[in-house]
Amino acid sequence: MVDFSTIWTEKYRPNKFEDVVGQDEIIKRVKNLTNSLNLPHMLFAGPAGTGKSTLAIIVAKELFKEFWKENYLELNASDARGIDVIRQEVKNFARTKSLGSVPFKIIFLDEADALTKEAQQALRRTMENYTSTCRFILSCNYSSKIIDPIQSRCVVFRFKLLERKDIEKVIRRIAEVEKITIDEKAIQALYEGSEGDCRRVINLLQASNSISPVITDEIINILLSSAKPKDIKVVLDYALSGDFEKSRERLLDIMLKDSIAGTDIIKAIQKEIWGLDIDPELKVRLTEKTGEVEFRLVEGSDEFIQLESLLASFVLAGLGMKKL
Amino acid sequence: MPEENKTIPLFEKHRPKKVSQVKGQDLAIEKIHFYLDNFEKGDLKKKAILLHGPAGTGKTTLAYAFANDKNHEIFELNASDLRNRTKLDEILKPSTLQKSLFKKGKIILVDEVDGVTSTEYGGMSELINLIETTKFPIIITCNDIWQNKFSSLRSKCELVQIKELPYLIVVEILKEIIKLEDKFVSENIIKEIAAKSRGDLRAALNDLQSILHLEDREILEEQVHLREKSQSIFEAIKEVLKLRTNEKTTEAFENVELDLDQIILWLEENIPSEYRGEDLAKAFQALSKADVFKGRIYRQQYWHFLTYENFFLTAGIATAKGPKSLQQRFTKYNPPKRILKIWMANQRNAKKKAIAGKFAELTHTSKNRAIRDFSILTLITTEKEMKEMQLDEEQVTYMQEKKQELLSELKAK
Repeated sequence: MVDFSTIWTEKYRPNKFEDVVGQDEIIKRVKNLTNSLNLPHMLFAGPAGTGKSTLAIIVAKELFKEFWKENYLELNASDARGIDVIRQEVKNFARTKSLGSVPFKIIFLDEADALTKEAQQALRRTMENYTSTCRFILSCNYSSKIIDPIQSRCVVFRFKLLERKDIEKVIRRIAEVEKITIDEKAIQALYEGSEGDCRRVINLLQASNSISPVITDEIINILLSSAKPKDIKVVLDYALSGDFEKSRERLLDIMLKDSIAGTDIIKAIQKEIWGLDIDPELKVRLTEKTGEVEFRLVEGSDEFIQLESLLASFVLAGLGMKKL
Repeated sequence: MPEENKTIPLFEKHRPKKVSQVKGQDLAIEKIHFYLDNFEKGDLKKKAILLHGPAGTGKTTLAYAFANDKNHEIFELNASDLRNRTKLDEILKPSTLQKSLFKKGKIILVDEVDGVTSTEYGGMSELINLIETTKFPIIITCNDIWQNKFSSLRSKCELVQIKELPYLIVVEILKEIIKLEDKFVSENIIKEIAAKSRGDLRAALNDLQSILHLEDREILEEQVHLREKSQSIFEAIKEVLKLRTNEKTTEAFENVELDLDQIILWLEENIPSEYRGEDLAKAFQALSKADVFKGRIYRQQYWHFLTYENFFLTAGIATAKGPKSLQQRFTKYNPPKRILKIWMANQRNAKKKAIAGKFAELTHTSKNRAIRDFSILTLITTEKEMKEMQLDEEQVTYMQEKKQELLSELKAK
């Protein structure tokens, strides 16, 4: 019996290469590699919700058919349990031979960029030790955070954000099966809130549907705002008025209250800037600064210190100083 | 004599003598047991065991405790012994090749192998020789085993990770020792010391010692321990934030006992109490650049970047102040509050994080994403999933509460 998940992201997760939306080039190449049974280690790099896990599962399903679950191990590197646990699990999994005609098993390591450089070195050795029995598929958001020795051992695939037409295709497909009424405006709202993340679109769609069978942009926007950092405007207003200490205190409270990541805060700040009541030239400078800080966060700097330096620039802007 | 006792550091005085007294390292202990038992039988491929992990987590303590339990003698070798080949031959060869005349056996301990250089003649290679020929078990301790110079050593040793001690265990040990010392320390201070230690028990006990000492002199202010330890940090911060730059500015933090990571937090906390407006912005730009270099050191392990980190923290911040900021008034500097706040928030958000983690596993997503969209997820999670995720009663209630919150918010609109 097939166990249908009630979570739509699982229920509608594609099972075949042909069903994946977007990433056409990647799908073609991975499909070829899979069919040839000559699979290298692979690195899937790209934003969340663009099909990395899905594709890994499809590779396993294509290779092992009904035995895919026995021959596929999914691990998440950001689990705080550390590289030693990962190595132990790999060891246990790789000890037995794969079932069927395929001479290797698949290990999917999600969020490999969460590993420190040292842990990645250890992972590299693990990959080498088990090459005869296992193929690794690593996934990460930023390939720059993966050490060169690992990148050089993998075929790297760069996943792109999903385009509007792809997102719309997914929405229509689900709406038809679930008998949802959805209009153009709501689809646009879903697309705008998705940030190119297919999983988020489907979650939003399912959440809206749990409230009403007719989905409007209004419902979607309310749901989106519930997942958005609140009161960022207040933080910026404090900074513009010159009260740096209040501003940063408020910011820390907001971040800690709901465990919001620095990168989500910075996106919210960026969206606020254009609507602020300041000289347009200042808005340009502030946006430039914001981009620089976002870059630093992605690089792995201390979130709060970097955000504070941004708030200090807002203090300057509040004084009308254009040299930020 | 109490006078004598004072001179022994707490962590030496209360160092566990038996393995059973060592807390929080059960897995490692099991592995060391296995190694020592099987070494005696002589059927081990890897003839040395290597304990690696951060400072103050009990690596050396474990070696001595095992020796004590097994009635073995510890034979300690340090980096310089290894470098000195003739000395090493002289001391060691006889002891490894012939069984000791005494009844009890020996354990060779190579403590802090990080200090051994790979280039120097007779360092690493001599150690590997030793491992191959030894008749006695060898325990090696090391902070960072993933350095290149250890690649061959790693393959010769059974690796055992010694983890940072969990917060609660540090608290437990602190309380035990305070009791043994027959002292009183408030719960808050104990917690703060434990949180600050980040699993480094030696650091925690050193901090504890500094306040026990102060209590002797009847100074009982809540925050006093932080001040005592940070006596020089106040001076150093003043030098950077208040005084005119001089040729000594870049050395401001040289004699501070805190490491740069903590100094960054101190500066972060206190810059706004000295600087305003443009100066403030410049100072934070310098601080954020120092932080960027700190990140690069961490990722590349290229320690020369420390020079730049330090430069921005001292001269960078010091030169940010314009003439208006040079003032003589007294400023009260505060210890950093952020880490404690983060820690407390983590305790509060633990439930949400645990649920988000389980949801992430169920739907092949990342935990951070699940945390961000938590409110949305409460709407789509049915009882079936809650069962699948094996949520306990509290977690189920938590999810339902959050769902109701969102629904009533929706209704209001």
